[in-house]
Amino acid sequence: MTMAVTVEAHELTKDYKFGFHDIDVSVFRTEKGLSPEVVAAISAHKNEPEWMLKFRLKALSHFRKRAMPSWGADLSGIDFDNIYYYVKPTEEQSRSWDDVPDSIRQTFDRLGIPEAERKFLAGVSAQYDSEVVYHSIREDLDKLGVLFGDCDTGLRDHPEIFRKYFGTVIPANDNKFAALNSAVWSGGSFVYVPKGVRVDIPLQAYFRINSDNMGQFERTLIIAEEGSYVHYIEGCTAPTYSSDSLHSAVVEIIAHKDAHVRYTTIQNWSNNVYNLVTKRAVAYEGARVEWIDGNLGSKVTMKYPAIYLMGEHAHGEVLSAAFAGEGQHQDAGSKCIHVASNTTSNVVSRSISKGGGRTSYRGHIKVHEKATGVRSSVRCDALLLDEESQSDTYPYMDIDSPDVSIGHEATVSKIGDEQIFYLMSRGLSESDATALIVNGFFEPFVKELPMEYAVELNRLLAVQMEGSVG
Amino acid sequence: MATQLQTPGAIGPEAVTTRAANAPAWLAERRRAAWEAYTALPMPDRTRDEDWRRTDIRGLEPDEYVVDPGPTGHGAGLVEAMREMRDRIAPDAAFVASTRNGVRALEGAEALRAQGVTVCSLEDAAVHDEAAVRRALAHVPVDGSKFTALWNALWRGGCFVHVPTGVEAAVPIVAAHSAAGDHAAILPATVVVLEASPAAQGTMLSDAVSILHLGEGSRLDHCLLQRWSASTWHLATHRGVLERDSRLRFFAATFGSRLQKVYWDALLEGQGADATLTGVCFGGGDQHLDHQSLQAHRAPATRSDLLLKVAVRDRAQSVYGGLITVDRAAQRTDGYVQNRNLMLSRGARASGIPMLEIKANDVRCSHGVTAGHIDTEQRFYLQSRGVDPEAADRLIVRGFMQDALDRSPHAGFAEFVGGVLDEVVAGHSAAGVEAEGLS
Repeated sequence: MTMAVTVEAHELTKDYKFGFHDIDVSVFRTEKGLSPEVVAAISAHKNEPEWMLKFRLKALSHFRKRAMPSWGADLSGIDFDNIYYYVKPTEEQSRSWDDVPDSIRQTFDRLGIPEAERKFLAGVSAQYDSEVVYHSIREDLDKLGVLFGDCDTGLRDHPEIFRKYFGTVIPANDNKFAALNSAVWSGGSFVYVPKGVRVDIPLQAYFRINSDNMGQFERTLIIAEEGSYVHYIEGCTAPTYSSDSLHSAVVEIIAHKDAHVRYTTIQNWSNNVYNLVTKRAVAYEGARVEWIDGNLGSKVTMKYPAIYLMGEHAHGEVLSAAFAGEGQHQDAGSKCIHVASNTTSNVVSRSISKGGGRTSYRGHIKVHEKATGVRSSVRCDALLLDEESQSDTYPYMDIDSPDVSIGHEATVSKIGDEQIFYLMSRGLSESDATALIVNGFFEPFVKELPMEYAVELNRLLAVQMEGSVG
Repeated sequence: MATQLQTPGAIGPEAVTTRAANAPAWLAERRRAAWEAYTALPMPDRTRDEDWRRTDIRGLEPDEYVVDPGPTGHGAGLVEAMREMRDRIAPDAAFVASTRNGVRALEGAEALRAQGVTVCSLEDAAVHDEAAVRRALAHVPVDGSKFTALWNALWRGGCFVHVPTGVEAAVPIVAAHSAAGDHAAILPATVVVLEASPAAQGTMLSDAVSILHLGEGSRLDHCLLQRWSASTWHLATHRGVLERDSRLRFFAATFGSRLQKVYWDALLEGQGADATLTGVCFGGGDQHLDHQSLQAHRAPATRSDLLLKVAVRDRAQSVYGGLITVDRAAQRTDGYVQNRNLMLSRGARASGIPMLEIKANDVRCSHGVTAGHIDTEQRFYLQSRGVDPEAADRLIVRGFMQDALDRSPHAGFAEFVGGVLDEVVAGHSAAGVEAEGLS
């Protein structure tokens, strides 16, 4: 028998294309790659209790056992061994803006955080690499008894609340990437709103990736007690790097009886990021949960915000917008699981593909056997701006109860020639007409955003649409 | 060590050897290759295969089923029952009746033959019209899936229709497949080839693997009724290949079997091809009825429109998965899918998964899925007008299905199916009779 083993080596000269990028000032980082030692090092570095270390190690074994998903986007480009799973940027958490190191402040300045804060921020929890570096909580939130901080602090300072809810909505073995997050999570927000409290100002957190080969695995836990209201906003931007980054967050929301939680995201990671996120809420009797979910950036996004309607008259709402340009695949959607009777859900999805980009809507509506009087409506519309792009729709509906009214409608189309013609006959250029139609297409999503975000989104869309005509 | 005795004639290598011995060399080779593929392919698995996720066939042991029963006593009775059905649908139709022992009746095809239309068993065609049969079978590759591999290895008898250029078939053709006896396995084959033609037409009734090859400009109306007994496993692929400017109207009614998994594939290969697919499905008891459809738009200006109406009662479950694909070249595609489910009782379940994969931008593609129940007000209203509850349900189900029935390309077939539907809803359906099925 003749056998041969050949090895081919390719040495790449990395061509760094910096967006904007600070000199790495990280203080502590784990080895590249994943092992029980790395997980233990993260836990030890954070001085975590024993139960959290056990939770992490168990999650790691789940992660290793589970296969990569066989459906959805192409994830073959992820090299789990070439990722730093934990980087802590500064020694101590900063309480005030003045304490934040200059280089980090400059990055935030570019993102407009101080500006935003002066205007309207209730509390800032800005994540720089894996740890929250800047954090301020307005006094009136303290007075109301609202807890708003990062998850590490939540675990340390409020262990009784934290442990009661952590990992209950999304168990560590839920899916491969939730398991990964559970093993190496760091940072993210912890929000607790006491009974009957309405938080009038949106709570906001900025997340950033800033270290080459840095994965971000933030963990967000939001608990709204009976009759309370909170609106949480998460926005992301990231500078461009030459090698791929992995972002795998877990967000858990618990909306108790008659609580109302709104979660708004605009995801604009740089186009080399794999963004594989598990977001799920449980809504008890009379509760209302809304996911407002925009996906503009990243190389690959797989994200399906879910609502489990556990109590009678609970309502779930998912409003999503996706934009995929060259080299991007936005595989996003929603899940509404009707466990209790007289629950309702409403899903509206709008997506645009351009320049060879691909958007996929993937959704699931399930009605349990004992749930009666369930109503659900799903509406998906997609625009294809050119011949190279792709749009997919994968709505799954499992109806196990007779007393339901379920509807799903989807359309895929291009911008109508007659619409363009009409606008041009009114004096608009073709590109202005296209931009106007695209803005109108996203209108149901944009109008739900706070003003600053709506302005920012329209600006981002304008940038994305540049050169789309002619 | 336990000795395992294979039931004579059961699905297995010996049955393949027998089939191959009676076939021309090319077909014998194809059967052996298909058997190899069948044994190599794993059974579909709920956890591994996405399209099988909602359908569990772990209870099926194919090698317990007899595909080659030897001479049986019930052949004449089966043919008589099938002939009666032909009479109810279209008395003037040509008639091809298959059982596990091959084609048992071939009648009323004289007018067609005079036109130059071939109507014969697929086995005969494999000898006399090798080129056409080979071309058609190529649309169902031997290793395409576990059950198409099995079919390729062991199909028997079968109906072959070949309509030459420019001929409009004078009468419809009813192809019926039936089997009787415990643990009978039947692998019905239907192949329809329409050569390039300005206006050719045929009406069909068939089952299991149907290959419908529509040449340029040809038209085919294909109707299908599945009424196997409530203990039957039914696995089928119906594949239409549409060349330029051809038109297929496909209509299928599903009432029988304990578990059905059928694939409807409309492959729109030529510019201007047009496929209309319509399904009427009623499930009761513990039936599990699974439809999977593919509308593959591969050429410009193609059109497809699918409507599947499903009513489920008792503990029956309906699964529907549908995919519209639009290739980059298929600009000006118009694709539509509708799946409407009526839930008649607690315990009944329905899943609908209509999918779109669109790679061209100048298209109009949409789909809709709904699930609803009989409004208690509707029932109450009918009862207050003196309609008893059973009749009220029958009226409501018939009303729900009517727009789908109206899409049947053959009026006699629609009428026949409507009658069967009423019987099934009323609960005294022949479909429940053990080991007696027509399709």
